[in-house]
Amino acid sequence: MMKYIIELILSIGKVDRRWIFLVIGLAVLLPLFFPLGLPIRATNATQRVYDAVEELEPNSKVLVSFEYGPSTKPEIHPMAIAILRHLFTNSQKVYVTCLWPDGQFMAEDALTEIAEEEYGLTYGEDYVLLGFRPGNEAVVKGLVSNIRKLYTTDARGTLVDQIPMMANVNKVKDFDFIFSASAGYPGTIEWVQYAADPTGVPMSTGTTSIQVNDVMPYVQSGQVKGILAGMPGAAEYEALIGSPGIGTSGMDAQSIAHLVIVLFIVFGNITYFIETQRAKKY
Amino acid sequence: MLWKRQIPILIATVIGLLTLFGWFIDNPGIESFVNDDATQWFDILASFAIFLGALNLMKLQGKKVLKQHSGWQYSLFAIGGFIFAIVAGFIYKGNDAVSWGFHVTSKGTLFKWMFDFIFTPLSATMFALLAFFVASASYRAFRVRNLEATLLLVSGIIIMVGRVPLGSSISSWFIMYLLVLVGSIAANIKLQDKIITFGVLLGGVVIVTIWGSLAGWPVDQPSIFYLPMLQDWIYNNPNVAGARAIMIGIGLGIFATSIRYILGVEKSYIGE
Repeated sequence: MMKYIIELILSIGKVDRRWIFLVIGLAVLLPLFFPLGLPIRATNATQRVYDAVEELEPNSKVLVSFEYGPSTKPEIHPMAIAILRHLFTNSQKVYVTCLWPDGQFMAEDALTEIAEEEYGLTYGEDYVLLGFRPGNEAVVKGLVSNIRKLYTTDARGTLVDQIPMMANVNKVKDFDFIFSASAGYPGTIEWVQYAADPTGVPMSTGTTSIQVNDVMPYVQSGQVKGILAGMPGAAEYEALIGSPGIGTSGMDAQSIAHLVIVLFIVFGNITYFIETQRAKKY
Repeated sequence: MLWKRQIPILIATVIGLLTLFGWFIDNPGIESFVNDDATQWFDILASFAIFLGALNLMKLQGKKVLKQHSGWQYSLFAIGGFIFAIVAGFIYKGNDAVSWGFHVTSKGTLFKWMFDFIFTPLSATMFALLAFFVASASYRAFRVRNLEATLLLVSGIIIMVGRVPLGSSISSWFIMYLLVLVGSIAANIKLQDKIITFGVLLGGVVIVTIWGSLAGWPVDQPSIFYLPMLQDWIYNNPNVAGARAIMIGIGLGIFATSIRYILGVEKSYIGE
């Protein structure tokens, strides 16, 4: 009996990688069609982002920066949507900038969906899309010293001086809060180093899971108030604001996919162990 | 030689020193240069760099097609995509109601169509493929070969499971039973004695069961065995320690390189 089990494990260990692809494909697809409804518990880092937004007075000026594109949209877009929802629910004024060219497309999508269609807000009075400017951290530095030198018009061609909510907004210091939805460089770290730290404006961020390692030291030191870490961070934030969205629906699939990968790793190691023992024996 | 070597080095040195001392000298002129003018110069230069990059891309891909190097067919797609983007960006808007420049992100334009229906699905597909390769690679490469590899493997598994909602549903008592099982397997491998193995297994199961019964089996207690808590600890302690060490190293590296540029020792930007 034991011999058969070992042979079975060994045969699984030599399985063609196309089978692995098939299993992963199913592990991702099936929970999307048949949700499991696993409970979502907010981590301390996500809770801190929520608390920081919640502490803002109504009509606070919040700068939201979109630094991601279509490739990282599944991870970052849900948190951008959730943050916008939270800000608009609390009647904050939202100013959107983009350090990535494709970030402007993401921002347009998010603002159309949330500000226009869901909340029916007025452009220029409740929110404004300043758009993309090339230059990476130089753009952040420019925003810190003088927004009007960098942005003479917004993303829709309106002169910045003619936008009602831009009155008395000249530099980063005029904002009450910064949120960076970031998938890499330029992104969160540049906002901390060139804007939040020198001006003292509090900031939070949402990043891809892989970036969390780089940003975590800033979170721990208090330079960044919490972090939404990848899709789980988005799902946790959705749970906190009581508005389940794309992040929540993706969590079942991610949970099962992670579990399957772990099982593959365990099987791979058992096979490796048996083979090593056999090699020692003979 | 003067124009190609000495003058570029002099410009780099002067601008580098000015930018560096701008942080320490309380002079409005220098401050304005560092904060405003220099960053705008950078913006302008970055815009020109895009043209250079585009030209270089076309040159390389065109050469590949003309000389029919291996995979030249893919270059046709690169050139075709580039020309299509140029047409959508500079020649044909597809929606006359929108003015030039703003057509890039406006609905109903060719550029927006290209972004929504070509660029977005292709980018998302490329990124999504990672899931399959990560699964296959971790299956083959994540092995308990030595202590370092084992630590990496265990922390990887804790992060993977602890980060997702499934992890918070796994009771810390289940992890403790699992540890008892792993411990007894380890004892068996090391000592090759069935009685000791059985003793470790039975003793562990009894201790965990009594402890759990007394504590009332709370899912997240003891927190040291609760996966979301463990992953939090890994993120906040060993990970931050490593990340900080890397950041300090990078910072020192940037400082050293900057000094080399300012002193004219580093001359790679003029092709030396």
